[in-house]
Amino acid sequence: MNRGLVAATARLFLFQGSMNHERLQGLGMAVAIEPLLRDLDGGPAGKAYREAIGRAAGFFNTHPYMAGLAVGAVAKAEHVGVPSQQVDRLRMALKGPLGSLGDRMIWEGLLPAAAAIGLSLSTMTNPFIAVGAFLLLFNAPHVLLRWWGLRAGWRLGTDVAEALSHPVLQAGLKISGPMAALAIGFAIPVVAEWLTTGLDAAARWGTAAVGLSTAIVTRWLVPTLGAARLGILALTATLVLGWLS
Amino acid sequence: MEFTTVGGLMLWGAVVGLDLATIAQVMIARPLVAGVVAGWIIGDVQAGLIVGAILELFALEVLPFGAARYPDYGLGAVAAAATAGGAPGVFGIGIGVAVGLLIAYLGEIAIQLVRQRTAVDVVRRREAIDSGDVRVIYRLHLRGIVRDAARAIALTGLGLLLAAGVRIAMPVDVRVAVLLGAVAMGVGLGTTLVSGTRIARDVRGGLVWLAAGLLAGVAWVVVR
Repeated sequence: MNRGLVAATARLFLFQGSMNHERLQGLGMAVAIEPLLRDLDGGPAGKAYREAIGRAAGFFNTHPYMAGLAVGAVAKAEHVGVPSQQVDRLRMALKGPLGSLGDRMIWEGLLPAAAAIGLSLSTMTNPFIAVGAFLLLFNAPHVLLRWWGLRAGWRLGTDVAEALSHPVLQAGLKISGPMAALAIGFAIPVVAEWLTTGLDAAARWGTAAVGLSTAIVTRWLVPTLGAARLGILALTATLVLGWLS
Repeated sequence: MEFTTVGGLMLWGAVVGLDLATIAQVMIARPLVAGVVAGWIIGDVQAGLIVGAILELFALEVLPFGAARYPDYGLGAVAAAATAGGAPGVFGIGIGVAVGLLIAYLGEIAIQLVRQRTAVDVVRRREAIDSGDVRVIYRLHLRGIVRDAARAIALTGLGLLLAAGVRIAMPVDVRVAVLLGAVAMGVGLGTTLVSGTRIARDVRGGLVWLAAGLLAGVAWVVVR
């Protein structure tokens, strides 16, 4: 089974390969879990294997880095002969809590924290060191989480909820948000000063005015606009006005 | 731009585009990473760093929850670096970011098309999938990856064409170039402030941590 766990861990990195609006990560779940189902009764040609693969390929959506917990737990449930309806319920019950935990810890915590640290470092040192530090800071916990998640899910099976109270996971949840807020706060003045070095006072004040206007527009006036679209509109307007004047 | 540079950028664009969600997600799709490496391929790391850092400020707003839609800022950074690379002073920054944002936005639309197309495949082969036909599942999964690679390569190519066009045809004087740069930086910094505030509000004591970071950052700027 060790070989199965290694193969399934590698396939977790392709979990969203066929992300789609019909079943979201369903096919990715089936691809990732497949090596762990090969030794079900009858092997890959058997009925148990095909039924388990078919169940795994149903609708599924969670945080991709936390998916290993679901893959491991569902595979173990299939192995110990948990009834099919209960396996489906397990799969559906896990996606919400795993998604919520991963969203808060990774997307709202670790990622913005590491990115803001990378941004600050890029103003202070060689850009390749800054980029390397960002990738290391982010991916050390990321890869560990994928590796641990699959094994914890496989070990605990239907009791996988216990893994969510693991002290390291809880500590990560607790510190990642404040870390992100602190790192972003630090990055704003540091990056602003670095970017505007060389501009005259009028251009610096102009940058600050655009920044404040952006905050007001995207926070209160048109929060659905999004920064990319606002940026395209603002830069196009600037270009046209610059040509006309 | 030499053939090897174009080839290197196309390859890097494919890797960056796939990393966004489809393969690995080790964050080489972040604009800071994508921009620095694209700048290195072009031979102007500093330009890649600056446009990558500005687009990274934009990208901090992205929370890729579930099936959320979001711009592909990594491919945007490759196009932005190709536009800004080699331009003197501030000339390439604002216009580079503008090209980058356009590609990022088109990337967002293209991801939806890829996912819709894969959904059509899934509906067509529903019976085989539900019956546990692993060969069909592998094939559809691989097709999804290939489609996303095609998306990334096509958008990188479009970005390089836009970059070449802008560099040849865009008559931007120094005043407009400074204005464009200031607007790009301002929108990026304002976006980061809003993103930081949103993250801080979701965390107990988060606004205090954000304020502490701002103070520490200001102190760093003053004493450096």
